[in-house]
Amino acid sequence: MFDFSIISKWFHDLLTGFIPEWLVIGIECVIVLLFIILLYAILAIALIYLERKICAFFQCRIGPNRVGKWGLLQVFADVFKMLSKEIIKMRQSDRLLHDMAPFFILAASFLTFACIPWNKGLEILDFNVGLFFFIAVSGIGVIGILLAGWASHSKYPMIGAMRSGAQLISYELSIGMTMLTMLLLCGTMQLSEIVQQQADYGWNIIRGHVPAVLAFIIYLIAGNAECNRGPFDLPEAESELTAGYHTEYSGMGFGFFYLAEYLNLFICGAMAATIFLGGWAPLYFPGWDGFNTIMGYIPGFIWFFGKAFFVVFLLMWIRWTYPRLRIDQLLSLEWKYLMPISMFNIILMALVVCFGLTL
Amino acid sequence: MNDKTYFGGILDAVKSLTIGLKTSIKVFFEHHETEQYPENRATLTFTDRNRFCLEMPHNEKNEHKCIACGLCQMACPNDSITVTSETVTTEDGKKKKQLVKYEYNIGQCMFCNLCVTACPQGAILFNQEFEQAVFDKSKLIKVLNHPGSKCQERPKPVVSPKPAATPATANEAPKASLSHVDTAPAPKTETADKTEPIETKKED
Amino acid sequence: MTLELKTIAPSELHAEMLRLKTERKMDFLVNLIGMDWGEEGLGVIYMLESTETGETVNLKTITDDRQNPYIPTVSDLWQIANIYEREVYDFFGIIFLNHPDMRRIFLREDWVGYPLRKDDRTELLNKLRMTDVPLSDTTKEYFLTPDGKITEKTNTVWKGDEYVVNVGPQHPSTHGVLHMRASLDGEVVKKVGLVLGYIHRGVEKISENLTYPQLLALTDRLDYFSAMQNRHALCMCIEKALEMEVSPRVQYIRTIMDELQRVASHLVYYACMAMDTGALTAFFYTFREREEICKIFEDNFGGRVIQNYNTIGGVMYDIQPDFVEEVKKVSANIRKRFHEYQDIFTGNVIAQNRMVGVGTISREDAISLGTTGPVGRASGWNNDVRRRHPYALYDKVEFKDIIRTEGDTNARHWNRMEEILESLNIIDQLIDNIPAGEYQAKRKPIIKLPEGSFYQAVESSRGELGVFIESKGDKTPYRVHYRSSSLPLANAMDTACRGQKFADLIAIGASMDFVIPDIDR
Repeated sequence: MFDFSIISKWFHDLLTGFIPEWLVIGIECVIVLLFIILLYAILAIALIYLERKICAFFQCRIGPNRVGKWGLLQVFADVFKMLSKEIIKMRQSDRLLHDMAPFFILAASFLTFACIPWNKGLEILDFNVGLFFFIAVSGIGVIGILLAGWASHSKYPMIGAMRSGAQLISYELSIGMTMLTMLLLCGTMQLSEIVQQQADYGWNIIRGHVPAVLAFIIYLIAGNAECNRGPFDLPEAESELTAGYHTEYSGMGFGFFYLAEYLNLFICGAMAATIFLGGWAPLYFPGWDGFNTIMGYIPGFIWFFGKAFFVVFLLMWIRWTYPRLRIDQLLSLEWKYLMPISMFNIILMALVVCFGLTL
Repeated sequence: MNDKTYFGGILDAVKSLTIGLKTSIKVFFEHHETEQYPENRATLTFTDRNRFCLEMPHNEKNEHKCIACGLCQMACPNDSITVTSETVTTEDGKKKKQLVKYEYNIGQCMFCNLCVTACPQGAILFNQEFEQAVFDKSKLIKVLNHPGSKCQERPKPVVSPKPAATPATANEAPKASLSHVDTAPAPKTETADKTEPIETKKED
Repeated sequence: MTLELKTIAPSELHAEMLRLKTERKMDFLVNLIGMDWGEEGLGVIYMLESTETGETVNLKTITDDRQNPYIPTVSDLWQIANIYEREVYDFFGIIFLNHPDMRRIFLREDWVGYPLRKDDRTELLNKLRMTDVPLSDTTKEYFLTPDGKITEKTNTVWKGDEYVVNVGPQHPSTHGVLHMRASLDGEVVKKVGLVLGYIHRGVEKISENLTYPQLLALTDRLDYFSAMQNRHALCMCIEKALEMEVSPRVQYIRTIMDELQRVASHLVYYACMAMDTGALTAFFYTFREREEICKIFEDNFGGRVIQNYNTIGGVMYDIQPDFVEEVKKVSANIRKRFHEYQDIFTGNVIAQNRMVGVGTISREDAISLGTTGPVGRASGWNNDVRRRHPYALYDKVEFKDIIRTEGDTNARHWNRMEEILESLNIIDQLIDNIPAGEYQAKRKPIIKLPEGSFYQAVESSRGELGVFIESKGDKTPYRVHYRSSSLPLANAMDTACRGQKFADLIAIGASMDFVIPDIDR
């Protein structure tokens, strides 16, 4: 497996050869920032296009097909439309908070985005409490949603924001619980280390068998809820609250929410891939040497994106199948079902690890 | 759902959700229903019952069948037809009405087919040209008689089948009775009545 | 065949109504029609029916005071009278004494005059306004003091501290431009109020200036998912007045088309129900099948939604040669696909939890609210017009009464789903036996109805749709009134939604399946 850190180290050494180290780090930060923004934009475009096509296919439709071949340029057209739209200011809204809200959401998704290990040696933020950091920064998004709902001075966004607050805080527990479960298996919070372990000993979902699969399912449900996507799209609930917390946003203000929603979807998929499906680690079967060698030739980031998009497809499939839950059902699903099951699951995983029953 | 146990409920729920996923993924790979207009223009089929725009057929000598009786104008619930006529004296000294202008406002039309069924001559019919979008509202008012056209000479008013519509599909019965009843006195009585609907209809 | 109307003086009206309701069990107020009889005065026609015995009683009451017409309310006896009386107040200016909520319902609150009065100068008095009037939160109640004076008091509908959310007129789930005001307590709905009239076109007023054949064009635009049945009702009403017989072939065609329309309508209902509860994919499943029915409609009448098919004494065109075959194909396809609808949406646990036990309407409420159709039948009230007053071929075909007693969203949903299958059964019984014959009876060129009042109801996709025509023997009707099947359903929202969650309000609204142009007429 190709280690990307060779390149980054070579680049770092090259620069430190003739400029001071603080400047090198500065330059590297800028490059990394550009890389993140670029990747963010590309992924958002790809995801929006994917979502529209997949949703269309589920609904016996073709989906976008007018702008460009197979509608490939549709998303660009949408972005240009959004950019050219007037930004409407509400008379009684809290302007500062109203304008700030999308950036909170964007910041949350950028920060979580930075945690993801793309390839061996290709991580941006990688430190020993990576998983903890991930859970912590993903919580910032709630503030954005609450602010958006509050500052809009409108009833639908207000209801949407309140629902969102209740929902995100509840489901964050499940996410934390499932991650704890996997933590028991891995014994480390460092994301690169988690993936490295999986490359060495096999994917967590296989290694941890029953409790890992359970945790994976719970993670998918809770992750879907964290992304505010159907059947948990209550904060938006277009048939009830028109557009929920971002009803009063126009132009790029709405665009940021829209982007963040899709990026959160990807981050959810990417995290599932990292923790459960082995991240950039290829699929190895012990004993199948020929097969393993071929798998080994496929670059790690392709493995990573493949897995992440597979999870994304799963989430889309769920979204385009089920009706929306009601707020009380949503909360009872979390507190009566997911929470107890994930608590039980932690104990199960602890027992499995303790008695060495991992595969 | 209260009669189920906690775990039984979970099992049932998971089962029903799986059925849902199965159904949707099946349709995912099925044929898409989308019809792509305008690419499918060639394959669009219409019967002569589709009513898209009123038309007054003219023959190769630029003659139509309209005798300017105004029955269609009277039958129209929306005032979308305006028949302008003039009275001319023929060679044998009889006074005769002649069509000057047959205006039809498609923007007001409800496509109820009453004008076509009211016409004793079968002079108007609905065609199947559906692309009627225009940029200017005034273009919705169409003059149906071609410039320089005149009424087809007929020895007698006869019950003729409508052009383009097959006898089986055209609504012959009321029309036949109409033309029999109204043939002789029609032009006079209808001109007297003609102002009436315009007065009584207040709605737009 | 005219309607027999017993005249009662306004002063005795309430006592007589109470007697009818308690002694003769006239628990269903079918219709409440405002009338302007010109010289005779203003009045109201009441049409009552007993759900137990099936008897009907028709009454009218007249007040000759055109300046201050007062008639006692019956809204305390039948809940539906509340909204009917507001409609009459709006259009005729008749003030109902003791009615708790005498506000305009369809027209703007600053409207001048009463447009359905024969002497009203609507266009002169109401210039196009470019400003908006805020909806008032208070209402007036008029009542008679013991010394015989009319006094008024102010009732508060919406308190200042209530969290009132406007659902509509622009809202994704009100299926048009219905405006509901919902008072919320957190997520719980405390009260729902209706603001109607956003697409009121005054069909009843326009009709007074149109000849009978011209009237027909408007019915398709009332409840556009029951276009066929609406027009069937009006045609039957005119035929009844003219004592005109239609051929068996026409009866067969009309019955089959009515049922096809019902299937199409219920398929749209399913789609809307799914969409309102957030299952967007299920929406497309039934639209796929509805498309095939629409294709049949298009081939046979040239219209998909606005069909213009029934005419006085027949139908516009004969059926196409391949009609029978196509209908059988569609029928088979819907039966084949039917399980998919349940698999993807209703079968699953989320939809079940959203529907079972939500928005319950009791049988008494359903009758009192006049919620006919599948909604009433979900509450255990067998109100099928096809059974109560058979028309066309419904006394010859066999069909099952689909009745549930739960009265919740789930029951309403399943009633409609089963009605799809039942309608297909009716079609199957008829489709092979369409007799030969003419499709249009002979009729006079100018149609004049004899003097009198005529009423004909059909079972539209949403319940009882009635057409009332009062004729003075002219080419044009003196008064036309449509008993909307959707207005009682929208009115029942308040009863069904109280204490439910806000998300349920949308689901209940979808399960009521009202069509706004039918409410607003």
